[in-house]
Amino acid sequence: MAEVFVNMGQISSFKTQGILTTVGLGSCIGVTLYDDVAKVGVMGHIFLPRSREKDVGAPPGKYADTGIPAMINEAVKLGAKQSRLKAKMAGGANLFPNLSANSTSIGQQNIDAVTEHLKKHGIAIVGKDVAGGYGRKMRFFVDTGIVTVTAIGKDAVEI
Amino acid sequence: MNDAKLDFLKELANIGTGHATTALSQMLSGRLFQLVVPDAQMLPFAEAAEYVGGAEQVVVGIFVVVSGDVKGHMAFLLPLDSALVLLRLLIGDNSGEMNELARSALQEIGNIMITSYLNALSKMTNLLMAPSVPGVAIDMAGAVWQSVLAGAQVTNEVTVIRTEFFADGESIEGNIIFLPDDDDFKKIARLLGLGEM
Repeated sequence: MAEVFVNMGQISSFKTQGILTTVGLGSCIGVTLYDDVAKVGVMGHIFLPRSREKDVGAPPGKYADTGIPAMINEAVKLGAKQSRLKAKMAGGANLFPNLSANSTSIGQQNIDAVTEHLKKHGIAIVGKDVAGGYGRKMRFFVDTGIVTVTAIGKDAVEI
Repeated sequence: MNDAKLDFLKELANIGTGHATTALSQMLSGRLFQLVVPDAQMLPFAEAAEYVGGAEQVVVGIFVVVSGDVKGHMAFLLPLDSALVLLRLLIGDNSGEMNELARSALQEIGNIMITSYLNALSKMTNLLMAPSVPGVAIDMAGAVWQSVLAGAQVTNEVTVIRTEFFADGESIEGNIIFLPDDDDFKKIARLLGLGEM
């Protein structure tokens, strides 16, 4: 089965089958959208919560506020129905906790922003493995909708 | 980016890393380090993500926020194997395990190296560059590097200055990476009479 690696700020998709993978999620969030009837799967790799004017030419998938709508568009373009889309998310960790001791970590800001924007578009989050202090690898099997999350020194989890 | 600016950034990296590895060498009873020619680039965001390879390899990452007249972020990255060699040489730890003592020893090594790097640049330019308390992460290279870039809130153009080094006779290698805020290194260039970059 074809496997595509989704880097920071990117959005990739498959219809029917294929594996969407993101390696090295730290404070970033891997988000998946899935329509289990149309068998359409989209993965995004969100870097920061909010788009910034000074970041000219940034891909929409870099930020939660622009990335979630772009992911929905991509799914619909491939034949998904927005009302059938379900989301899963992983990441949002805080690898350097002592550097954000007096503020909300970027990881947590990302979790909050992704959650907010999914809710705004009426998409339920049906699985998540977020926060904590460690990096993650996420794989999304589009034929079944299964998402696995692995981390160093931890058992793999299915979300 | 023009050649003069690239050369200038490489020179900064050379001076900074030279001082950082000298500090490390003193901790390691005089073991010598070789510096690979520094790399200075203005990378598009998509390429910056790939800049540190081996995404699933375990590395030790030390991350510092730089404040003062010149703002930016610094990271000291080394493969886990290299970190274990350093720990054996510095604190006689042969266990091959990462416990709290090992973590704080690595934090201190990173602190000394990054401080030496910044002090050298501060002296040369008369500009204050003060490191924060360092953060330490031991994890997948991709997750560590990604968290560094997010901490630096990089835009679509990322200025990266990296120097690789390795030790003579010991398998220690590492990277020191400086992500200066763009406007601030123009300040350094002006001070050094390099004009507008």
